[in-house]
Amino acid sequence: MNELPATTVPTSAGIGRHNRLRFPAFPRELALAVVTLGTVIGCSVLYPASFANFSNFAAIVRNLAFEGILAIGMMLMLIGGSFDLSVGAMASMIGVITGALMKDLNWPVPLAVLAGLLTAISGGLLNGFIVAKVRVNALITTLGTMGIFQGLALLIGGPGITYLPESFSRFGQSQFLGLQAPVWVLVALAIIAHYAMAHTRFFRQFYYIGSNPKAAHLSGVNVERLQIVSFMVMGFLAGLAGILYASRIATATSTVGVGAELQAITAVILGGASLSGGRGTIWGAMIGVFFMGLMKNVLIIARFSSEWQGIVLGAVLVAAVALDSLMNRKRIG
Amino acid sequence: MRGVRKSFDGNEVLKGVDFDLRPGEVHALVGENGAGKSTLMNVLAGVHQPNAGTIEFDGRTGIVIPDEKSAQQLGISIVFQERSLFGHLSVAENIFAARQPNVLGHILRKELQTDARRSLERIKLDVDPGTPVEDLSPAQQQMVEVAKALSLEAKVIIFDEPTSSLTGKETQALFGVIRQLRSQGVGVIYISHRLEEIFQIADRVTVLKDGKWQGTTSVAETDTGDLVRRMVGRDLELRHNDAVAAHNPILLEVRGLSDLPSHSKALLKDVSFNARAGEIVGFAGLAGAGRTELALSIFGIRPRGGGEIYVSGRRVTVRSPAEAIAAGIGYAYEDRKEGGLFLDMSVAHNIAAAKLKRFGTWWLSEGRQSAVAAELQESLRIACRNTSQSVQSLSGGNQQKVVLAKWLLANPKVLIVDEPTRGVDVGAKAEVHNLLYRLSRGGAAVIVISSDLPEILAVSDRIYIMREGRITGELNRTEATEENVMRLASLTLPTPV
Repeated sequence: MNELPATTVPTSAGIGRHNRLRFPAFPRELALAVVTLGTVIGCSVLYPASFANFSNFAAIVRNLAFEGILAIGMMLMLIGGSFDLSVGAMASMIGVITGALMKDLNWPVPLAVLAGLLTAISGGLLNGFIVAKVRVNALITTLGTMGIFQGLALLIGGPGITYLPESFSRFGQSQFLGLQAPVWVLVALAIIAHYAMAHTRFFRQFYYIGSNPKAAHLSGVNVERLQIVSFMVMGFLAGLAGILYASRIATATSTVGVGAELQAITAVILGGASLSGGRGTIWGAMIGVFFMGLMKNVLIIARFSSEWQGIVLGAVLVAAVALDSLMNRKRIG
Repeated sequence: MRGVRKSFDGNEVLKGVDFDLRPGEVHALVGENGAGKSTLMNVLAGVHQPNAGTIEFDGRTGIVIPDEKSAQQLGISIVFQERSLFGHLSVAENIFAARQPNVLGHILRKELQTDARRSLERIKLDVDPGTPVEDLSPAQQQMVEVAKALSLEAKVIIFDEPTSSLTGKETQALFGVIRQLRSQGVGVIYISHRLEEIFQIADRVTVLKDGKWQGTTSVAETDTGDLVRRMVGRDLELRHNDAVAAHNPILLEVRGLSDLPSHSKALLKDVSFNARAGEIVGFAGLAGAGRTELALSIFGIRPRGGGEIYVSGRRVTVRSPAEAIAAGIGYAYEDRKEGGLFLDMSVAHNIAAAKLKRFGTWWLSEGRQSAVAAELQESLRIACRNTSQSVQSLSGGNQQKVVLAKWLLANPKVLIVDEPTRGVDVGAKAEVHNLLYRLSRGGAAVIVISSDLPEILAVSDRIYIMREGRITGELNRTEATEENVMRLASLTLPTPV
């Protein structure tokens, strides 16, 4: 079965055609897209008044911007075989630092935002350095820095910094086609990240690292450097998410990111990533985030108490991964 | 076992195979990868259920072996190709995994030690039962597996490729144990790609090809050529017979290469050698002689304490694989799954891995990757449906060809291949050799590291022999005989002053 006779001529099916990464026969992101579509249709029938209207859709995606931006970075991390638990705390901390710079120290808004983003990238560099160079496990490193970032956020901002300058909040509250600016930032970032992960040489290397870091290293890929870069990109995105959120509500809340890291990991795994690395797409991450936002919305409309959110999403996550594992086992056995 | 049939997803892997084993006999099972050897043994060990056929065991007919545990209870044990030991646990705990002597779940340490010692004595393995298994050599670990099988009162022990990571000496020690098992009335089934071993150890041999039985004969009535013919259905010519001009330019020269003295396992000492364009240079030696370490050092992975590397006469700085590749050196790692392949990725993406820049500095062209991969697939005869198939579904031989295709694409001046045919069947092995030959004759310097001595002798134009981190000799093709190489590989060196 394995050694086909030499006369087997290679089929030229894929050649010259657009032939993207093909993972399992029925990828999880596609399955999730179908389920999501089904849920939308089902809810439109069940709750025509409260669900199927534009303002409800706008509400769903508005709440997605924050987690969506984190999920883009988290997908990059998981494709490269790593992950970052400090992103929620990072978002809180950067929001608070940026807010404090412009409110308490009266820095001009653009300068405060720039300083915030640079701090975020440095935080990512710190994570990346410890993981890639010092070789401390990513779970432990980012669990530690999560505590540090969250603590700093509370130290600097107390519970939060309110009444941020109008010139700062104007951007986050501006609308285009009925959707707020942070949503459009998410859309733009998702498109850029999708092209980067699918088509650029630099970012495609993360699939190799995630699939087999040793083989990647032996094939000449600079694994350590790329790992550090991925943490820096993640840090930047987390900082940006924190700043945008602060801008939208004109307040830098010290605890805005609590639990966001797990939400982001849940979303990207639902969307097709694997904890063992090498798998996943940006559009999968986006569907994962949208699906989670959708479920929360549906639960509210169906008048379930908020406690049900965690229960339902947790069950969906475990069920999706279990199903995947069962299907994979069948294919191999 | 009579008329055993087994299909997976409509694919018939075993097409009515007969197999019998007498007590006190070593019965070898040979065939190419995918011939169905492992499936047949898995049926016997209860891992798979046959679709048809009967099993008779110890005078009882119509036996059903529903799972591994019942196979063990019947007295059938497998010593797997990939060792299934717990590295952190002691020898004793591995031998009696999950059935330690106990009182109400409390493990009796002392009994465990004595029982373990008794099993180890039976196979004359001199290690302390308290040693963690990860501190043992591969051969000793293999012996622990045997001890485990014996402690299960096995009447039948199946060895699946037991020698693929053993040195010649360790192999002989294993054979000693197998002979002893035979004399104790245990039936041994021996699976190996190394045909010469069959003639040393087996009494009878059964050949499988594409899931079909190709005859069982006494070893005395057959020879290698006959077995190979039955396995692949054609004759294979291994040895190439043309001399390389000895005045071709030197492509790789290594001078005085040593490990860092502070390295925890410092081994390499003052290694100097060269490889010319158009030649295949073999590196022979026992396991632990430092051949792989030398390759890792040249490839920029193992830190060097001293020494210089020249490619095409120019001195190069190599501190990482990326720099090595840029300097024109390629290295196919000894364990393709561990360090060569991206198993869940496609054939095309695997082939492109070491030369992504060729498909675009910024934007990668998938179309060009597929097209180049398809060309290599065809010229290397990689058996796959198309190049977007993932490599984990390919056989060992085809996976190895994918690794080689990756390096062909990177087009290095010097290609080091480490154990290029480990776990690869006879047919694919000859193709790999042929490929290395073509690559060298195309003007590259090919360095082959292999623990399979007949392979080194067959493919090399020149052979360096290593022992304990040094080069102890250099032989050209005419001087290179198994005896000469073994003498240099096991030579005792004068103590350095």
